[in-house]
Amino acid sequence: MWRNPAVRLAAVCLSLPLLICLLAPLTGHNGHVVNLDSVLAAPSASHWLGCDALGRDVLDRLAEGVRLSLAISLSVVTLGAALGICTGMLAGWYGGWVDALLMRLTDIVLSFPGILLAIALAAMLGPGVENLLLALVAVGWTGFARLSRVQVMSLRHIAWIEALRAAGLGFPAIAIRHLLPNIAAPLLVEASFGVAAVMIGEAGLSFLGIGVQAPDASLGTMIREGTRLMLTNPLLVVWPGLLLFMLVMAINLLGDTLRDHLDVKR
Amino acid sequence: MYRLILARLLQTLPTLLGVVTLVFFLLHLVPGDPVDALLGETALAADREAMRQTLHLDQPLMVQYVHYIQGLLHGDWGKSIIDQHDVLARLTERAAATFRLAVVSLLLAVLMAVPLGYIAARRHGQTADTAAMVFSLLGVSIPNFWLGPMLIFLFSVTLGWLPVSGMEQPGAIILPAITLGTALAAILSRMARAAWLEAMTLDACRTARAYGISELRIWWRHAARLALLPVLTLFTLQLGAVLGGAVITETVFDWPGLGLLTIEAIQRRDYPMVQGCVLLIALCYVLANLLADVLALILDPRQRHVA
Repeated sequence: MWRNPAVRLAAVCLSLPLLICLLAPLTGHNGHVVNLDSVLAAPSASHWLGCDALGRDVLDRLAEGVRLSLAISLSVVTLGAALGICTGMLAGWYGGWVDALLMRLTDIVLSFPGILLAIALAAMLGPGVENLLLALVAVGWTGFARLSRVQVMSLRHIAWIEALRAAGLGFPAIAIRHLLPNIAAPLLVEASFGVAAVMIGEAGLSFLGIGVQAPDASLGTMIREGTRLMLTNPLLVVWPGLLLFMLVMAINLLGDTLRDHLDVKR
Repeated sequence: MYRLILARLLQTLPTLLGVVTLVFFLLHLVPGDPVDALLGETALAADREAMRQTLHLDQPLMVQYVHYIQGLLHGDWGKSIIDQHDVLARLTERAAATFRLAVVSLLLAVLMAVPLGYIAARRHGQTADTAAMVFSLLGVSIPNFWLGPMLIFLFSVTLGWLPVSGMEQPGAIILPAITLGTALAAILSRMARAAWLEAMTLDACRTARAYGISELRIWWRHAARLALLPVLTLFTLQLGAVLGGAVITETVFDWPGLGLLTIEAIQRRDYPMVQGCVLLIALCYVLANLLADVLALILDPRQRHVA
């Protein structure tokens, strides 16, 4: 695996965010503590990456941002995949009106640019992490639904699956034990690109002020706060953006590798 | 072919209805009583009642829904609750700026993507190919709300070449167009490379080679026709997607288009305006998808058999 240059580049990209997360606890600062004595302090032995406009330690806030970004994107993709795979498998298995109904629903969600629908939902539901998750899941499940539907449709009439049906196995048992393992490869690839997309989506909503709210630190909110001070303290924008960029790039690289490895056409 | 196009057109109708329905229900996602959210809890009872009536909130949901659709069809997209401005009029005012930004970004993306894809395919497996693919990877991974500020810092603040924001000064469109166009260029160049490589493996291209036709002519005449077809389809699909990206890009650069209007409306809790913005952008998106499918049917005879 290490022979692959893409994997090595991904490891390099991941190392910076990881390093930030590992180093942050060592300095002993809490990124939520406002300290007016150290407003916009330059990097020093105590605050390794300096402080923001409220005197909060940038290193610790970055570490929190990376953790939050990973936590949100992994949960959204997990929930979205669960919802999408259930929908898609039901539609593909039963066909007929179930299929028509579920796929029209998917089509409606897909007739909005993803980021716009997430913005609209998050804005209407109001601020907060739960609503942010809800908005991102509502947009993110469709890819999984379409993929698993097509795959299940092609498997449904294969002899050994029909044999299972004839043996009296119900849909849930067939779906979990037999269909899922056979359609896992493209779903896995979809999930890996999904993580990258959700990461940008979360940070984007937070950047617009309708995602993660103060005092919690998200990479998006940090970029938002930083742009106001860009003339004097450009590093406040550079750091969170660079970390987000590295994370997204690493995940895209791993997704590409996974796709080539599993031989999935996308 | 015409039957296929007609069928595709008819398919769009339920989609449009679905879009309108979802946008209608957006207002009902607001937690609690929408009137409270609009007027605040301290508003006078009479004002609340008046608002309830103007928004038809005093009637059953079905009636509200029918009212909403009737209004849309008659060009009545509601009124801003902040300044009573007609939503549709405000949208058309702002659409021109977004249109300009989108056109320039798309042009920029194509002008970058096609040569990049060509060079990468032509020099397949060589340094130029790797470089083009690294650019494409960077392009899809860089968030536009970070790329924008970084470009402003470099070109406007440090070098002083271009304006920071707004639309009036000359050259103001350059940075937002690059910000919006980069991801697009990255996606398109990847597609161009893959499609060109695939086209070159076809018998037609091998035969052309055997006839002694010059390499340049094969690449640009014979292969390009096939290779640029999926690029064109993807490009048309992106016509709509670019409007989604414009929401963030316009916010970064204070570009007075639909995207910025959406965010302003969200910040002021001007829900009818938010609904209008989302609806208009989604309509453009649906139309772009329709256009992509119809173009593919017209330009690529093979598609007709698949469909």
